[in-house]
Amino acid sequence: MVYQTAISSTGCDSDMLDNSSISFRDLTYTYPGSPDPALSNVTLDIAVGEFVLVAGPSGAGKSTLLRCLNGLVPHFTGGTVSGNLSVGKLKPLEQGPQMLSPTVGFVFQDPESQFVVDRVEDEIAFALENAAVPPTEMRLRVEEVLHLMDLAALRDRQLDTLSGGEKQKVAIAAALALRPRILALDEPTSQLDPQSAEDVLQALVRLNQDLGLTIVLAEHRLERVLPYVDRLIYLSPDDESVLSGSPRQVLRQIELNPPLVALGKALGWEPLPLTVKEGRRHAAQVQAATDPSLPSSRERHRTRGSSRWSGERRRPDTRDPQFLVQDLHFAYNGKSILRGVDLQIAPGELVALMGRNGSGKTTLLRCVVGLLEPRKGKIKMEGKSLVGRRTAEISQDVGYLPQDPGDLLFADSVREELIVTLRNHDLLDHPPVTPEDLLTRLGLETLERSYPRDLSAGQRQRVALGAVTVTKPGLLLLDEPTRGLDYQAKRELVRLLREWQTDGASILLVTHDVELVAQAADRVALLSQGQIIADAAPELLSTSPLFAPQVARLFPGTGWLTVDEALEGLDTQRDRN
Amino acid sequence: MLDARVWFLWAVTTLVTASSTRSPLYIVVLLLITTVVGAAREAEGSRRAPLSPLRFATIAVPLSALFNGLTVHFGDTVLFHLPDWLPLLGGAVTLEALAFGALNGLTLTVIFSAFSVFNQATPVRDLIKLTPRAFHEGGVVLSIALTFIPQTTRSLQRIREAQAVRGHRIRGIRDWLPIVVPLLVSGLERAMGLAEAMVARGYGAVSGEEQPLRTQGLLVAGLLTLVAGWLAYLFRAAWRVPAMGAIALGAAIIGVTMWQTGRAVRHTVYRAREWTVGDTLVVLGCVVTLAVTLTHRDAFYYSPYPRLTLPPFHPLIGLALLGLLMPAMLPPAKKEAKRERSREENT
Repeated sequence: MVYQTAISSTGCDSDMLDNSSISFRDLTYTYPGSPDPALSNVTLDIAVGEFVLVAGPSGAGKSTLLRCLNGLVPHFTGGTVSGNLSVGKLKPLEQGPQMLSPTVGFVFQDPESQFVVDRVEDEIAFALENAAVPPTEMRLRVEEVLHLMDLAALRDRQLDTLSGGEKQKVAIAAALALRPRILALDEPTSQLDPQSAEDVLQALVRLNQDLGLTIVLAEHRLERVLPYVDRLIYLSPDDESVLSGSPRQVLRQIELNPPLVALGKALGWEPLPLTVKEGRRHAAQVQAATDPSLPSSRERHRTRGSSRWSGERRRPDTRDPQFLVQDLHFAYNGKSILRGVDLQIAPGELVALMGRNGSGKTTLLRCVVGLLEPRKGKIKMEGKSLVGRRTAEISQDVGYLPQDPGDLLFADSVREELIVTLRNHDLLDHPPVTPEDLLTRLGLETLERSYPRDLSAGQRQRVALGAVTVTKPGLLLLDEPTRGLDYQAKRELVRLLREWQTDGASILLVTHDVELVAQAADRVALLSQGQIIADAAPELLSTSPLFAPQVARLFPGTGWLTVDEALEGLDTQRDRN
Repeated sequence: MLDARVWFLWAVTTLVTASSTRSPLYIVVLLLITTVVGAAREAEGSRRAPLSPLRFATIAVPLSALFNGLTVHFGDTVLFHLPDWLPLLGGAVTLEALAFGALNGLTLTVIFSAFSVFNQATPVRDLIKLTPRAFHEGGVVLSIALTFIPQTTRSLQRIREAQAVRGHRIRGIRDWLPIVVPLLVSGLERAMGLAEAMVARGYGAVSGEEQPLRTQGLLVAGLLTLVAGWLAYLFRAAWRVPAMGAIALGAAIIGVTMWQTGRAVRHTVYRAREWTVGDTLVVLGCVVTLAVTLTHRDAFYYSPYPRLTLPPFHPLIGLALLGLLMPAMLPPAKKEAKRERSREENT
């Protein structure tokens, strides 16, 4: 392997390379000004060559743990630290990130925020130039990482012309240029669509399996990563415990599980399946005892309207849509982005709009709220046209939550954010819903005086939701609302959406999160190259290789999408038998 | 792709030439040249300028014409009078003053256009290399600032849209608060994120050594000598010769110290670029334009005062300006790179 031989040829400390295991001993760290420690008495070991997943709810300390590995914490952040941490013979807490950079590569959540220059090859070479690596050696290393990350074809490209997945691969390549033996990645796939996320994860698996790199990865969406990891470290924000062990050992002890694991635990499957392939063996045994003539769980949902927590799914009432898009066209710089989109949403219906990056989903939402002017077509809300109206006017009837809730937040307190929107619409004296009631509904009543930007990702998103829904709009547009959210925050979001639906609001949800769609959507529309190519009930997902949720992959042909539906369906079949 | 130094020479030559004339004919020729060169570079895949020269002109020309027209009360063709009691503005508003203001706006547009092309055509990494080695870290800061500009423009657009969807309208200065606060906060967050990323990639690990006391002492001594010489030159005519000697000595001490400091900076360059025939041709074009500009200053002269007249046009000057068109006449970089790569493969 070129990579390995090149390392030895540069005369690196081979002893250090062989022994770059990680050891935390009673590590406690507190951020400056914080009353509580972010990490408490963490004691764990990570062996050389392990693929480790660090999981836990928002605020549990995942990023802090990762940043300790290369000394960014406490050297960059300040704060108080006690205990010991060693990476091979190095001491990150004492030596700091610059000394650790040849041993620990670090990749951040947002690839764009870590780029220094503007071209792929230059970005990879940047760290090497600053480390004064000789030019011939530098060329070799750049070639290596370009090929390792499958980026050779993109070497001359401007970074801002790359897709999200390609940018993240460049960020990983830039971190690999110094030939670290450990790669720490802080939610590297949270901003990516499923296909791009898969590409990045496959690249990490290759680095781990082929080169023996130790990978330490923080991630919320466990279902994406579990199939690849050797060890799972779970951090809990409530108690001071750190669970560390094989994924199956740890998953048995925690509540926040991906659907496949949750189903396996509920049905007592042993060993606990981590991949759909493993799950299928158990599912096949269960299905062997089923009667195919029985109605599917989904059919029973329609007739009885019951579900354990996702609520009743509705059938669209297309006769009297609350929201209508007809033959909508939009072009940018002469390039057609939307090409005759037709979509309608009934009162109280939740429609999920899915599709690959660049298919035109966000453009559609921006046309609806008047941020973009369509070339042709109709957009109507309760029979009235929205085309040509000003955004500020439309936003009283249509709530739009953009991808980054941080763009909305600027006020000094959570309550003030809601007041500002009411003031913008001259509704302060007679608000459609009082800020107090809305804050209670959002579960933010205890945080009403808090500074919004200090809150967790889930809380911030709920504040932003409050800021756009305090006018009680009839239609809610959500653009990727689960990015960076943990399972608990997602569950909370679904609960809120259900409440709004019950109040009669229609919801258009743009997302890549198939599990969210499986739980919440009444209907799914697929957008491809600016056209709606499918518009049907969520069963549509079960037949799609790209969008099928885990449960649908386990039980193909049943129409079950969520754990609750599968459990209920299996219960019924068992009863019949 | 041309050398960054060549692009810098091209931009400076355009700046000098544009500053040397107010003749609308020459200015329009220069504007056409920078536009053609910019279009040629864009076709090669260079990054787009955040603000097009045309949009810049729509702001700069009217503003400059208005400012000059209202504040300069000179010229024969009086359009109307403003009351004399108005400070600065009171007096005759003339066609000539408006025309001179508009020409200033056009000149600014040419300079903006030239530096836009320079910024578009020069990769950020090459900009870092343009800075002297002693100022390497300053060059990195400058390059980061350059990459921050488009990011901040995108952020501003996103935040304006996000605020618009909660009914926000800009009616007064206070209404900018919901846009400025998230913009500043996101900018700071991005800066912190970038700093973290750079430190995590070892930035500063080899150049973090403190400057030796001797270097600091030499820099201070050089600066003091230079300032003392300059003061002596200004205030004592009899001391002018030794004063000039002191200025030269001070400058030499600073220069040598900086050179030595630069040598001590440990930094290597990935794939140093070789000088090409294209570079030579563009330098020759710039030299011709610059030589004609500096030696034919009278031919460049034009003033709309006191009465607006038709500007002169000398064919020799027009031909000399075409020297600046050289970058657009070279073969596209992609073809050049392909040829270079196939040459490498053949060898």
